[in-house]
Amino acid sequence: MAVYRRSRRHRFFLVLLALTSVTVLTLDYRGADDGALRAVRQTARDAFAPIQAAADRVVSPVAGVFSTIRDFGDLKSENERLRRQLDEARADAIRGADADRERQGLLQLQGIDYTGGLDSVPARVISTAPTNFQLTITIDRGSDAKVEVGMPVVTAAGLVGRVTEVSKLRSTVLLITDPQSNVGVRLANSGEQGVARGGGSRNPLPLELITTEVPVEVGEPVVTSGLERGLFPPQIPVGQVRSASAAPGALQKDILLDPSVDLLRIEFVRVLFWKPAS
Amino acid sequence: MREDPRLRMPLMFITALLVQTTVLSRVRVFDVMPDFMLLVAVAGGITAGPTRGAALGFVSGMLIDLFLPTPLGLSALVFTLVGYWVGIANAGVLRSAWYIPVLTAGTASVAGVVCYALVGSVLGERMINGHLVTIAAVVGVSNAVLAPLAVKLVAWSFGSLKAGTPLSA
Repeated sequence: MAVYRRSRRHRFFLVLLALTSVTVLTLDYRGADDGALRAVRQTARDAFAPIQAAADRVVSPVAGVFSTIRDFGDLKSENERLRRQLDEARADAIRGADADRERQGLLQLQGIDYTGGLDSVPARVISTAPTNFQLTITIDRGSDAKVEVGMPVVTAAGLVGRVTEVSKLRSTVLLITDPQSNVGVRLANSGEQGVARGGGSRNPLPLELITTEVPVEVGEPVVTSGLERGLFPPQIPVGQVRSASAAPGALQKDILLDPSVDLLRIEFVRVLFWKPAS
Repeated sequence: MREDPRLRMPLMFITALLVQTTVLSRVRVFDVMPDFMLLVAVAGGITAGPTRGAALGFVSGMLIDLFLPTPLGLSALVFTLVGYWVGIANAGVLRSAWYIPVLTAGTASVAGVVCYALVGSVLGERMINGHLVTIAAVVGVSNAVLAPLAVKLVAWSFGSLKAGTPLSA
């Protein structure tokens, strides 16, 4: 009898906790609580920020040793590859600078606004999200630095993602490799429009083109399209075509992109003060 | 100066949260990190039975939910169930062998990860894909390795309750 009563009490408690979770879940999911839960979340993040920063200072050298040991074999070959790429990039930069000058001139003539002129705020990457299911990073700038949800995040190499959550001191950035991410893009050579979806960490981004009868070259640069009501301003480099193939009889080409930013090793980013038109 | 035993529980949660957000998020194997907050729920079930397992799961789930982009309460729901079931499953086990908590933690963590992905998918998050297998496997193994540590930490945090009530209540 005693055992019976005890297990009933257990179950009552379990149901109580589960129902509480479901209630909170529903409120937060539907956003029906006038932001009270969001405020709780933001307060918790801001309150935890200094503790986390302090712990981070202790942990990061140790973690650095761990990753150095783990990656040592790759480092040598990577070094060679990077040196080669640097040479190529130097040559490209010279060509690019010339073309850019020309393009700026043309844009000014036509009165089109140029993304390079957007205001931005630099931020340091604090951590990756403490979850295995979302590819996000946390940066050390929040609403105090005028960061808002929806703003694009870039490095000098190209697009990183966009801001999905903001508290006073911290922001969360959804990376373009996350399966929930969609980026409107344009192939630089042909000008074809498409959508690059996230394919998961370390995976290339699958690209879906609107039209199928387009020649796609391997290595072709891909930039954000900045179409009307797009999530990103135009002309931010997204990546390069890694492979393009069509299965026999398929209606669509399988195109994969390598992101131009090494998303696993970003330390500093810039948040562009640009908001998508709603 | 004697420490106040009532402080142990909050201290345990803060430690677990710090370990999860700063240490473990940097130590990734195949891009997957251990889930220490889930492990706290499991350890709660192992050391203190279903009711406290569920309670610990609820609190640790809510805490980590505050720092995740997923809807608030998702981890809390799953961790509550995991803590409860570990408590039920461990009730009939004679706790003499060291490998029992290790095996329990591994199995329960795999179940927890899969359950999390299922509930998340119902809410429209894209969580079920090939990577889920890797996540479940790595979390299962790494949580099993960390289990003895987590059990010690959680048992220490329950130290405040030792005097009055028996732990298996």
